[in-house]
Amino acid sequence: MSAADILKATYETVWMVLISTALAYLVGLPLGVLLHVTGKTGIHKNRPLNFILGIIVNFLRSVPCLILTVLLIPLNRFIVGRGSGQWYTMIIPLFVSSFAYVARIVEQSLADVDAGEVEAVRSLGASDWQIISKVIIPEAKPSLLMGFAVTLVNIIGYTSFAYNIGAGGLIANIWSFYTRHTGDFLTQASFWILIIVVVVLVQLIQEFGLYLAKKLDKRKKVK
Amino acid sequence: MSEIEIRNLSKSFDNHKVLDDISLNIEKGDIYGVLGLSGAGKSTLVRCINGLETFDEGEILYRGETLCSPSVKISRAHQRKIAMIFQSFNLLQQRTVLKNVQLPLELDSSLVEERKEILLQQLQEEKSQITDVNLRKEVEKKYKEKIKNIKKDLALEALDKVGLLDKANQYPSQLSGGQCQRVAIARALVLKPEVILSDEATSALDPETTLSILDLLKELNKSLGLTIIMISHQMNAIEYICNKVAIIDKAKIIEEGNISDVFLAPKAEISKSLIYANHVHTKLSNHRLVRILFDGDVDEPLLSNVVQDCQITVSIVYADTKVVDNKAYGQTIIKRPKDEKDAEKLFKYLSLKGVRYEEVEQ
Repeated sequence: MSAADILKATYETVWMVLISTALAYLVGLPLGVLLHVTGKTGIHKNRPLNFILGIIVNFLRSVPCLILTVLLIPLNRFIVGRGSGQWYTMIIPLFVSSFAYVARIVEQSLADVDAGEVEAVRSLGASDWQIISKVIIPEAKPSLLMGFAVTLVNIIGYTSFAYNIGAGGLIANIWSFYTRHTGDFLTQASFWILIIVVVVLVQLIQEFGLYLAKKLDKRKKVK
Repeated sequence: MSEIEIRNLSKSFDNHKVLDDISLNIEKGDIYGVLGLSGAGKSTLVRCINGLETFDEGEILYRGETLCSPSVKISRAHQRKIAMIFQSFNLLQQRTVLKNVQLPLELDSSLVEERKEILLQQLQEEKSQITDVNLRKEVEKKYKEKIKNIKKDLALEALDKVGLLDKANQYPSQLSGGQCQRVAIARALVLKPEVILSDEATSALDPETTLSILDLLKELNKSLGLTIIMISHQMNAIEYICNKVAIIDKAKIIEEGNISDVFLAPKAEISKSLIYANHVHTKLSNHRLVRILFDGDVDEPLLSNVVQDCQITVSIVYADTKVVDNKAYGQTIIKRPKDEKDAEKLFKYLSLKGVRYEEVEQ
């Protein structure tokens, strides 16, 4: 593989991950908030709604991304103009298979917010929306950021299924490289370069997420 | 008219009564203590007052009008009048002290709007007296700045009242427990409430800090005319600042009244155990004991006189004097004379002197 090929694959991975993650949060964040708020420890308990949302989220999380990439080809044609073969045809499958995951990650982060803080603000006459926007989300910010980093890495993992619809990207390229060089892939420089780019990408995301979360967390600062 | 009146309030949880026909009158300027063991229902009771909990029967009134009832939800305007502080302070960890105190103003803009109106009026007045165009512009600019800073200024005012102006830009994690509670008090004060509910506000603090917080509450009660309703399981805290007290046990109020009356003559067993708690280890003694109660009226060296006049000896097991509501009172526990005749003599003597006494149950 040429340097240009590797660069192209990196570019494809970064864009399909970024756009699908943004979309996944656009839906997953409100969904996660709704799951938390209607849940057992939430501020607006609603068992039936919580139950139904839970079933939908669990269902979506249990459908493998591999299946979705294939199932969603018709939808892809309708929305992005083609079913497969380009990096952007991977956006919808990645989005659909990850927003439910995002919802759970968000729900988890919000559950850690101190109930006492919520009660104190409720005693000040805050509405549900004010409690969500002024207490729950801001107080969970460091944890939400960590969750965001974990989600990004997770979605990079999902990009491997781009191979099935020829949407490219680093991991799909690693796989196709392997299928073409099954005998000697371990001695090929291209193979290792691809692997290293993925590892560096994951490292960068994880470390940067951790750094930001720590920096923004005002809880453990010492005098 | 009472500041807060609780009428026949009852609440059940899973067929279990947590509050049973509670009635209380809290007058303006009272520091009203609610004393009880944990699980007695006192926390639930204060949470009913500001709408954090609902109840099944009864009614709570604020200055004669319904505050809340099973069918009426507390209004925003009322909620502003009743602030609350907590055992664990409950400050937002990701906000600075100043932003924490500003929070109530973000939730309820009425006070900010009021201030804005006043400032705009002042601006009009000042402007009408100035003819110079440039000067006018300058005045306008000054007021624009003031209006922009209303929230901050109100928060700083409140922080000043609790003596923490210099901590405005720090985060709660950088403060001590006592300082955190002061910030929480500032947050409670910022909307200019009439009533403060304190839910074990000093229970997580060390004794010295507890006193300083209680002093602060007392001072605010005096300077701002605040009514304070204070929940505690600590006799000492209630005794230190309250003028009235209700003792609550197993969902019911079993005693209430002026603090000196209740603390001097607790009637129910549970009150006694709360009030005399941590005082005497009567169980450690093999002797039968007698508790002699002083209510500030006894002015003579009573026990010396007992020895002289009755010709009996007494041994003191425990003695304690306190000042409650500016009245000295105390208790002395002595061993009951072994000889029945001596005991009778002692009791007669005490009755004659008008001193209250009781045999301590073991």
